Amino acid sequence: MRKPRRRLIAALAVTAALLLPALAYAATTTISMSGATASFPLIELLTHKYTQIKKGHVKFKVSQGGATVGIQDAATGKVNIGDSSRPPASTDPTGLFFYPIAKYFVCVVTNPANPISNLSAAQVAQIFTGKVRNWSQVSGATATGTIDVYTRTSVAGVLTTFQNTLLGGAKVSSVASQQASEGLMQNAVSKDPNAIGFLSDYFALAKGINAVGYNGVGCSVANVVSSSYPGFSDFYEVTKGKASGQVEVFINWIQHSPVAKKIIETSWIPLNP
Amino acid sequence: MSGARAVLERLRKPWSDNRAERMLGAVACLTALSIVAMVVFVAQRAWPTFSHDGLSWLGSGGNLDNQIGAMVSTPANPPASAFVFHAWPLIYGTLLTAVFAVVLGLAASILTAIFIVDFAPPAVRRLMTPVIRLLASIPSVVFGLIGVLVLVPFVGNDLIGAGQKASVANVIQLTGAGLLVSVVILTVMITPIMTALITDALGSVPRSWHEGAVALGLNPLRATIAVSIRAIRPAIISAAALATARAVGEAIMLSMVSGGVSFTPKFQDGVIFLFEPLRTLAEEIVQQSEGLSAPALRSSIYSIALLLLFSGFMLSIASRLARMPLRKYELSS
Amino acid sequence: MSSVESVPPPNLVAPPRRRGRRSSLRSWRRGDQLIFVLAWTAGVALCLITASIIVFLAVKGVAYLSPKLLVTSPSAAVNQAQSGGFLDPIVGTVTLAVIGTLIATPLAVISAIWVVEYGRPRWLVGIVETSIELIAGTPDIVIAIFGLALFQLGILAPLSFRSTGGGVYGRSFLAAGIMMSLLALPLTYTATRNGLRAIPRHMREASYALGKTRITTIRRVLLPSLRPHVATGAVLGMGRIIGDTAIVVVLLGATLQNSPENGVPLLGFLRGTGSTLSSYIYDNSPAGEGNAPQKAYAAVFVLVLIIVALNAIVGRVSRIGVHASAGTGRLSR
Repeated sequence: MRKPRRRLIAALAVTAALLLPALAYAATTTISMSGATASFPLIELLTHKYTQIKKGHVKFKVSQGGATVGIQDAATGKVNIGDSSRPPASTDPTGLFFYPIAKYFVCVVTNPANPISNLSAAQVAQIFTGKVRNWSQVSGATATGTIDVYTRTSVAGVLTTFQNTLLGGAKVSSVASQQASEGLMQNAVSKDPNAIGFLSDYFALAKGINAVGYNGVGCSVANVVSSSYPGFSDFYEVTKGKASGQVEVFINWIQHSPVAKKIIETSWIPLNP
Repeated sequence: MSGARAVLERLRKPWSDNRAERMLGAVACLTALSIVAMVVFVAQRAWPTFSHDGLSWLGSGGNLDNQIGAMVSTPANPPASAFVFHAWPLIYGTLLTAVFAVVLGLAASILTAIFIVDFAPPAVRRLMTPVIRLLASIPSVVFGLIGVLVLVPFVGNDLIGAGQKASVANVIQLTGAGLLVSVVILTVMITPIMTALITDALGSVPRSWHEGAVALGLNPLRATIAVSIRAIRPAIISAAALATARAVGEAIMLSMVSGGVSFTPKFQDGVIFLFEPLRTLAEEIVQQSEGLSAPALRSSIYSIALLLLFSGFMLSIASRLARMPLRKYELSS
Repeated sequence: MSSVESVPPPNLVAPPRRRGRRSSLRSWRRGDQLIFVLAWTAGVALCLITASIIVFLAVKGVAYLSPKLLVTSPSAAVNQAQSGGFLDPIVGTVTLAVIGTLIATPLAVISAIWVVEYGRPRWLVGIVETSIELIAGTPDIVIAIFGLALFQLGILAPLSFRSTGGGVYGRSFLAAGIMMSLLALPLTYTATRNGLRAIPRHMREASYALGKTRITTIRRVLLPSLRPHVATGAVLGMGRIIGDTAIVVVLLGATLQNSPENGVPLLGFLRGTGSTLSSYIYDNSPAGEGNAPQKAYAAVFVLVLIIVALNAIVGRVSRIGVHASAGTGRLSR
């Protein structure tokens, strides 16, 4: 056999060998998601469990970026599902469906070297709107010096929840240093002894950070369940138009399956107790 | 099958020079095409912002973080007001860091080049080449890591006093990440490149020129400065242009140590000026690269990219223009 | 004045280059003394800074690096401090380096050959050379954002992933690798072009005298002599690719573990997303969310080791190349 033809046949054989697994492989669906950093740990757990249950026929691509980014991505079709940590706002695009999946709450946090146990609503408002700038003016604080206020960038759903529920609708002062995600906020507050910020419960109740009570009520799951702690909201899955196909199956599974409920209960609050 | 075999046969025959020239030329033109494609793509996506803002894009006005925040939540067809974007704080931050770093770096690299060529003992001279090459190839993320884990806490805790923090408490927070750390690390990053280029050029100056100057009575250092450094001015200019391009385009390291606040550090703050945080153009692109679905934000980020692209072009052209009158001093290519 | 016959015979052997009695430092002007001190300071400072960076990274790296880290995948959790290594990032780094070099090297070699050997029309050569110079000066973040715009086109969906909403994801190993080749292109081009210019004319003329066409000369005579230069350029490009973070952060999809796209073994992996050592370091630094500085130090150690190894290879290959192609060079294989 002449050399060119032999090489051609060899190339065809190699290509066939590579493609054969694809042909024998049943169709996989990939669901892409993006959005809130506060719900990311929960979404990671849920998607892993779901992939196991579906034996790999459904795969996920999850990225972050903030609740508003997720909503925008879902609206433009870049992802199948947007993760949001806030309810729909008037500035959101139309045609979106928000499916609530779990309840979470927001705590004010400080550095462990400054273990404040409680702040009143007035104190929280004064600190975060920039009226009080020194720790010496805050009773119960052991830190001295300027208050380093940390907040989230404007795409964050947790920021909206915090401003609406714990700040009485006021906006955080522009002096505050903006952090792009929950993880970055947690890093910043745990490394700066003069820091104060706010985090969703998964990050706020972790080691190395001090969660502050609000108006005498401690920041904990029990207090949110009993409705005595005001700073809570829901995680939503956002789709463009009604969810359909594998996306609908997935969202239904999160909302109704007992396996998913057990996962939610590890650090968050299920919607159907 | 015989048709395919004929094609294969024709390809295996030795090519004629004409065909080879055209084929190779086509491939070479691909590279030119990629730059053109880059400009076209970036400009096309940046157009909405420029058509709405015009030249006021370069000016200042309003809090930049708020403007960007407003852009992320825009619907598919945003109104004209959504495109408001005044990039001056970013431009100012980029200019500050780049100019300081290049000036300091140029001084350091010329001095180091003189040291290597004139004063260093032979053993040290042999050592310097691998040292400089190593320093030049350390990735920017490593510099950023050292900066954010070592320098920023050092500056924040040891250099900035509580009184200084309190004095600016109503405007900005001083955490150590700011102008000083950015400029220091950026200088360390661009100096090796410049040093390598200038040392090469300095070493290629004919020794007889230097000896002639010494014979006329200058001491060796003054001879170097008066003769060799003057002779390699084109190389110094191109080294400076290269380093400026690198400093302007640095994104990752600066996003870790510059403080990330779109604030314009003010000279009149005295020493605190060095500690104030800032944000540069390239950083902004990295930070916002996830949220590009919103049309207003996308065109703003691409407009920043277009500005960076043009600044690179301008630097290239400027260095060529600056070297032209010096062509009569050129030694070898 | 001197008598003619006492002219000494010319000294044919150049005296060894000795410092001789240098002019005493004390006789210099104050300004020159200052510059002398500064030059020494600059040179010593550069060495000290490099040494301290390397030593610091080595100490921290050895403290936190364990062999287990090199072979385990990163854990799926956001917080990296608990478990998991960086096998996937290492695989990702190698993959990107391979893709980028594979694409850049042929392009660069062909462009250099066309420019040096053929080189007409002259205006086209000017355009190609300018384009490569401009690509070299473009910030990597602009290349990344251009890549994002390019690969989100519908035509290029097979190179990454298309979500059912109709949007192309645009981020994958292929996307990042193709853009990385733009980084490596100028370095390989310059090295090849210098290598071509260094080959003496008589080699080409001998081949023409034997009746060979230009393309055959290139293929059989010049390319073998170019091997060390191409190798140097390719390794330099590889070093630049490995150290780059901005393109990875924007174009690789930022998943900690490499997640292939579908069942096809190699193509699925290339179309999928993942991470590299540089993005892993960035994520685990305080600028990212991994919150695991120890892992970051360990990864930095591995990265710097790879870069030091590549630098050593460059040094070795370029020295072999100088010896091999000096003098007569070699004809054909």
